[in-house]
Amino acid sequence: MIDGGMLRRIESRLPERIGGLDLQDVRVPVGLLLIVLLLRPIVSSSLLAGYEQIASTILIWMLFAASFNLLLGYTGLLSFGHALFLGLGAYVAAAGHTRFGLPWIVVAAIGVLVSTGVAYLIGRLIVQKGAIYFAMLTLGFAQAAQYVANQNPFDLTGGSAGISGATPAWFVLDRGEKFVAVGGLQLDWYWVLGIATVLGMLAIWQVVRSPFGRTLIAIRENDALARSMGVNVDRYKVWSFTFAGLFAGLAGVLLQLNIQGTRLELLSLAVSGDVILMTILGGSVYFFGPPAGAFVWLLAEELLTDFETLHLPLTEFSVVSVDLSGVLTYWQFFLGVLFVVVVLLSPMAGIWGLVRRAGNRIYGVIGGLIYRV
Amino acid sequence: MSDGEARPDHPAESRPEDAALATRGLTRSFGALVAVDAVDMSVPEGELRAIIGPNGAGKTTLFNLIMRTIHPSDGTVWLGGRDITDTSEQRSPHLGLARSFQSNQLFTNLTALENVRIVAQTAQAGPFSLDLLGRGKSVAEAEATRLLERTGLEGNADVEATNLSHGDQRRLGIAMALATDPDVLLLDEPTSGMGPTETRATADLIDAVRSELGLTVLLIEHDMDIVLSIADRISVLNQGTVLKTGTPDEVQADDSVQEAYLGGMKEEL
Repeated sequence: MIDGGMLRRIESRLPERIGGLDLQDVRVPVGLLLIVLLLRPIVSSSLLAGYEQIASTILIWMLFAASFNLLLGYTGLLSFGHALFLGLGAYVAAAGHTRFGLPWIVVAAIGVLVSTGVAYLIGRLIVQKGAIYFAMLTLGFAQAAQYVANQNPFDLTGGSAGISGATPAWFVLDRGEKFVAVGGLQLDWYWVLGIATVLGMLAIWQVVRSPFGRTLIAIRENDALARSMGVNVDRYKVWSFTFAGLFAGLAGVLLQLNIQGTRLELLSLAVSGDVILMTILGGSVYFFGPPAGAFVWLLAEELLTDFETLHLPLTEFSVVSVDLSGVLTYWQFFLGVLFVVVVLLSPMAGIWGLVRRAGNRIYGVIGGLIYRV
Repeated sequence: MSDGEARPDHPAESRPEDAALATRGLTRSFGALVAVDAVDMSVPEGELRAIIGPNGAGKTTLFNLIMRTIHPSDGTVWLGGRDITDTSEQRSPHLGLARSFQSNQLFTNLTALENVRIVAQTAQAGPFSLDLLGRGKSVAEAEATRLLERTGLEGNADVEATNLSHGDQRRLGIAMALATDPDVLLLDEPTSGMGPTETRATADLIDAVRSELGLTVLLIEHDMDIVLSIADRISVLNQGTVLKTGTPDEVQADDSVQEAYLGGMKEEL
């Protein structure tokens, strides 16, 4: 088990600065760049998903999970309806583009704004409710939105089918690969998405490390104390909810482009539930926890649903193939087991906590060897 | 019982407007139990007033009422001449009223410095500030560092509150209360759980800080040595009512106090 003191002791073994550079100030930006650079080669390897498309999906979910963690990890608010803001961003952008013919960049901005504004209003209405009522109310709003989208009001949302073909002319599909055409250039969509994701996550990081974000953490730690020390707890919670809505809306807008439309499931309880599970699986106390959770969750889902035959190379010439199709129909069960095991091993700290612990142990061993030499 | 009216040598106290902190008819009942019963109290500016009384006398409830953590069933709370009964709890520190808690109420997984810094930042920037760029950070941090030095915690600035010793946690609570830049400070058993040396040091700290800053202090304290050495006046609370208010000598000499409360502690006094 990991506790705060243990983490601190581990962290105290890492260098804090190199020369005049405070490592804390570059850790997150460097980490985000590494994620974008390494994610696609890693998931494309034949051992894992074996194809590239999932890398874009994972990036978007990383941003979505990080936006959710503003609430759960940094403010201590549990929302069961975060899908609402992902869906709002996606639906507003897609509907604006297909139904009103507005330029995609404009409708994307409107999508993020609507998502932010709705989050602010809902936040104003519900943050002062107790934790359970707050969770149920968020669920209620998301369910209501999904119901409305399903009814296809004014032919805006496409009903159960969602909206398709909501892509601007500069978004090019070529033999299954996605490109963004700028001037005469065709940029790989993954890199464009990567830049957008990194900028979004850096903005979230700036929120959590700012005095505003540190106050959110104080509220998470002890909201009664924060109140008695003069903190307007409810207002901070409203703005935390607003920022979570903003970045979820951004993820929604990007997702809309990635899937060239919307699907009704974007607003579903399953999406709200998945982001909770990913965040807790990854470790809500770390900035990189939820992205790590999104990565593991989506990859595990991909592996468990798509691979029906496991090829075990025993020797150079004989390969034993095991038919797993019967077992893997229970893939959700296996995801559940993964979740339970990680949470039991490392509550709060999640997978990212385990990774950090392992990393620090390796670092400690290497450091010890160097010291001895 | 009104301590103000009973004291002609403090005529100003009869008006709640003239005291640094005052209550009038302050009452709170929980069902059939009246925890605080029509308390009239006037604490003039700069006074260190100890509140003593047996367990269950309503001392902490009185603090909760003054801070408006809980709402009174009846009566009013006055701060610096202003009726603050209906202002919210989170306004208190911004009006100059702060408290430290009986149990260690801290932001447990944050460092000592961050605990104080967040409070200092709130005192400087107001109840809400959307400071996303860290403009106020260095000022608040300087103030927090200064307060940690003042309370003897400078060596533990980077230690998480949960990993501090009990005594250091109590001092951190005081540092946080001071970070609100208060005029009136409520301290709920600041020395509980401390050894004799630590207790003495904490009492000296409170005494020194209050004269430096000209604070009005309300102090709930069980250690009678501390009470008698640093309190200007003492209010004895029993079953939710003020039995007696007076100087340490007056309170010790009072028969009703002897009977109701100090009987068992006579030899200690």
